[in-house]
Amino acid sequence: MAKYPDKIDLYDDRGRVFASKVPVEALSPLRNPAIQKIISYVKQCVSVNLEGIEKALATGEVGGKWCIIRGRSLKLDLVKNAESIADSLKNCLQVTKDDDTDVKVLKGGKHLLVQVPAKRLNAGVEYTTGFTATAAALCCTIVENFKVNIWDADMVHAAVWGRYPQTMDPLGGNVSSLLSVPQQNEGMGYALRNVPCAHIALITKKNAMNAAALSSILEQAAMFEMGDAIGNFERMHLLGLAYQGLNANNLVYDIVKENAKTGTLGDVVVSTVKRAIADGIIKPLEKKASGYTAYTTEDLNKWNAYAAAGLLAGTMITCGSARSMQHCPSVFIYFNDLLERETGLPGVDFGRVAGTGVEMAFFSHSIYGGGNPAVFNGNHIVTRHSKGFTIPCVAAAVALDAGTVIYTPEKISGTVGETLSEVPELREPLRYVNEAAVSIHGGI
Amino acid sequence: MATYKPQYYPGSTKIAKNRKKYMDPSYKLKKLRTISDDDLVKLMGHRVPGEAYKSVHPPLEEMGEPACPIRELVEPTPGAKAGDRIRYIQFTDSVYFTPLTPYMRAWMGHNRYRGVDIGVLSGRVPLEARERDLEKVAKDLVETEIFDPARCGIRGATVHGHALRLDENGMMFDALRRFVFDKKTGEVVYVKDQIGVPLDKPISVGKPLKEEELREMTSEYRVDGVPFREDKEMIEFIQRLHMLRTEAGFDPNKVKGI
Repeated sequence: MAKYPDKIDLYDDRGRVFASKVPVEALSPLRNPAIQKIISYVKQCVSVNLEGIEKALATGEVGGKWCIIRGRSLKLDLVKNAESIADSLKNCLQVTKDDDTDVKVLKGGKHLLVQVPAKRLNAGVEYTTGFTATAAALCCTIVENFKVNIWDADMVHAAVWGRYPQTMDPLGGNVSSLLSVPQQNEGMGYALRNVPCAHIALITKKNAMNAAALSSILEQAAMFEMGDAIGNFERMHLLGLAYQGLNANNLVYDIVKENAKTGTLGDVVVSTVKRAIADGIIKPLEKKASGYTAYTTEDLNKWNAYAAAGLLAGTMITCGSARSMQHCPSVFIYFNDLLERETGLPGVDFGRVAGTGVEMAFFSHSIYGGGNPAVFNGNHIVTRHSKGFTIPCVAAAVALDAGTVIYTPEKISGTVGETLSEVPELREPLRYVNEAAVSIHGGI
Repeated sequence: MATYKPQYYPGSTKIAKNRKKYMDPSYKLKKLRTISDDDLVKLMGHRVPGEAYKSVHPPLEEMGEPACPIRELVEPTPGAKAGDRIRYIQFTDSVYFTPLTPYMRAWMGHNRYRGVDIGVLSGRVPLEARERDLEKVAKDLVETEIFDPARCGIRGATVHGHALRLDENGMMFDALRRFVFDKKTGEVVYVKDQIGVPLDKPISVGKPLKEEELREMTSEYRVDGVPFREDKEMIEFIQRLHMLRTEAGFDPNKVKGI
């Protein structure tokens, strides 16, 4: 039986209804099979830059930029032989013949998309198995297939693993995963939050609705892992995921559409409040002497979900109309400021998004260094404070940018984003999560 | 559905009313002076008047856009369409009864202008936008009642001065001496652009507003003007929000009907 009474209508990224009256719990990371598959793929899928390995071996530049070992080079035709490498790699990674191991050759052999079998991950406790198994198997494969001798095998290791284990992460390596090494996580349960928005935008091929959805899925799933989405707070996160990330009741799309041609951020605030009043989420509390009316609600969690959906719509209007990602922190602060002044009710995540916006504005506008929004993630020191409601908007903003930044998402993401966009569930999460929600609907 | 009309800002004092007025985009800001397009371009210093806009990427039509329903819906601004660079205008507002406080610039700006990136710092407020969009917005910001020539400064760098005493002519301190008071005409004249590069010809931004006028139109709460603490409704609003945010952080399910 459902824990919570909430039912929602599911919509796709173009505002078309997909299913009606679906229990919100069908979108929970604890229940939705597509979300669980997405999380599995994040752990299992690894990107290999074969071209990078070939180049590193040819020049002796291993373990980071400018780190050239003179006189140590190997001419191996890895790209040309990508198919045979992929076959051998698959054999090496496979636990049983019928397991879910997969190695896809992409871009004419320049990249490989590797799916490490779940059995390997299940036999350990760390998500790093995806990376370690791939990197180690790849070293074995190259040594075997190209008959690399004992004196050159170390170069293969350095070209694949980078400077690890001298460094904490595989610096300058050519195998990469969406997830960072655990030592780089800010605290317990942060792993799924440590994914830069550049990756998200590229995986979803810069579809802003899917970018927000994938980011929201990772962020809100992390809330369960961090211990935030439980007890008194579980429903707040479920509604946030549904309304902000997954366009429940078409709220995000409707508000964007309403303001698409001429709307300002202020207009988006007004649309959000109008919709909340119309849907009975908030109502007038009292009229003050000045004529100002403070609003109240019987359901603060749902108000938060409406506000979060409005915030994403506001980002889409502001960053979308300017086709620029840098506007998003300003949206985070002032959407909430304006919404609070308009209603007398707390903004998204009860003030935490506004606070996050202040810090992010400083660190994304060259005031105290930092970087452009594409490098930010939910694990970042200045953007980790909101519990899953800020980063989906950053991901959407990055997706909407037309090329205003020096360090582009493509440059920041390297091969990871492009390679992982080959996984349909990651590329179009809205569709797969909606389908999965309908498939388990009856069971909830 | 209850009839809902945007209310923008709470509070019962003159200051609150001024804030509400400036934030309401249906209120037309009074034009007090005319600055030519070329002079405005010179004051900002991003390009030479008449020079073509430089671009950061090709026009959207030429480069094509990824298949995204939001890009298909959301109309880009003219500057974004053309691929303009993102440029800024930045203001310093004195604490002495200027029309806008720093936060007001952001609240007002986001209500009135589309596709703008506004940041508020302690002594300066930059507004960034695509260059041709910025020039339109900047015109409003300098020509209308929200700009006082003596107490608002167009300052891209070395912005210091907002909290210092005014000089004998009622001018805000400016370490770079970008603007001077012309005693003959009674007007404020910019002799340098916003980052302090000398201008070929001085640009007049008109006469400073009178103290009494500024006190009437300011959006600043001040102990020697209208103190914040006199605005009971405003204090109630702030305390309410603080209480709601805190209690929601403890248990959002318990915050009902208050």
